[in-house]
Amino acid sequence: MNWNCEQIEARLSDYLDGLMDAAEKRDYDLHVKSCAQCAPLVASVSHAVSTMHALEPVAIPPRLVYGILNQTLGPREKTKGVRGAFDLLGSLFTARFAYGVISVAATLVVVLAASGFSFRKPKLADLSPVNVYHNADRFAHIAYARSTKFVTDLRVVYEIQSRLSKDSDLPTDQEGTIPQPAPGKNPGSTDNDKPGSPKQQNRANGLRREVEVLAALMPAMNGNMAAQLMGRSIR
Amino acid sequence: MEQDAQLVQQCLQGDGSAWEELVRRHTRRIFNICYRFTGNGTDAEDLSQDVFLRVYKTLGSYRSAHGGFATWMTSVTRNLLIDHYRRTKRDRVTDSLEDAMPVVENKEAFGRRPDQLALLGELSSQVQTALTKLSPELREAVILRDLQQLEYNEIREVLDVPEGTVKSRINRGRIELARVLQQMGVRPS
Repeated sequence: MNWNCEQIEARLSDYLDGLMDAAEKRDYDLHVKSCAQCAPLVASVSHAVSTMHALEPVAIPPRLVYGILNQTLGPREKTKGVRGAFDLLGSLFTARFAYGVISVAATLVVVLAASGFSFRKPKLADLSPVNVYHNADRFAHIAYARSTKFVTDLRVVYEIQSRLSKDSDLPTDQEGTIPQPAPGKNPGSTDNDKPGSPKQQNRANGLRREVEVLAALMPAMNGNMAAQLMGRSIR
Repeated sequence: MEQDAQLVQQCLQGDGSAWEELVRRHTRRIFNICYRFTGNGTDAEDLSQDVFLRVYKTLGSYRSAHGGFATWMTSVTRNLLIDHYRRTKRDRVTDSLEDAMPVVENKEAFGRRPDQLALLGELSSQVQTALTKLSPELREAVILRDLQQLEYNEIREVLDVPEGTVKSRINRGRIELARVLQQMGVRPS
């Protein structure tokens, strides 16, 4: 069968809904593929239909069902007595309510722990505002002092570690510690070809200063040891 | 839908819980038809209440032998929508949706990515706008077929017109909808 454009348009829904037999569909496709007018029409209607099929149903307003029931059955009576209490309890056992209860309880535990309340030996006096304030103040100061001490300890350990690592980096060969000026160059002057030489000199000078500082900081170290170390670094 | 017929029988015997069950089973479908037809959440809510009120009053006239309860209810809905359309025709200067109450998309949309949700939301509002540009005859036919997924014979029952007319309206409605969507810049990718 040869289709014309009017027939294509008239049978478009049959085509999209799969209501054509195989022969009809083949001839329909044949026309659509070769027709510059029908091809975009079929594509756009097909797109519109598939778009509508993909749409989600809209959610009903929350009070609609109750509104309908009120209009038809009359205002709904509240359940009373034991059954009403069970209904109320049942409405409380929702996931959202449970999360709320858990978060409030966790917050209370944290606040009470911070205020110095003892869960093992609970006392009513611990909950008086003055005690809560004093305990919270005490805990805050202790926490601050501990954190300060921790930071100071970390700094001391870091300094000792860095000095020891610098010390172990030093070459044991004496000649290696004394930088020799390159022929034709003044000591301390930069050398683009060998930039490492002035840096070695600077490091040796720095090490000497550090040992002097260490000797001043550590009175337990007797003068001989300090002198030996200084002598070693100077040499 | 034998369960619906059973619930109707229970309702007629004065069982309030059976009516409540019927309301819960059909509210979403009826509200969606009303919302897609009017394009307005507040109107759709009022019309849904009117539908159930009329169904409640005329429940005794329903005969299960003549078709499904859902089809009968859809027919009642369609009649009320057409009444509403005629009643408000004079008030409508344009089919603008500017005053429409925002309606939340279904919670089944959870699990989709935010960009997919945004795209769906935008498409939904564009389709809604395009639907309100159609004549009520074409609009109701397209809503029942493509949004409510009814079969042709069910739509024939709801609209009370021959099946050939149903097919013709659906076809013209789809072509018109595609044309309006194209004018709005919604094109096949």
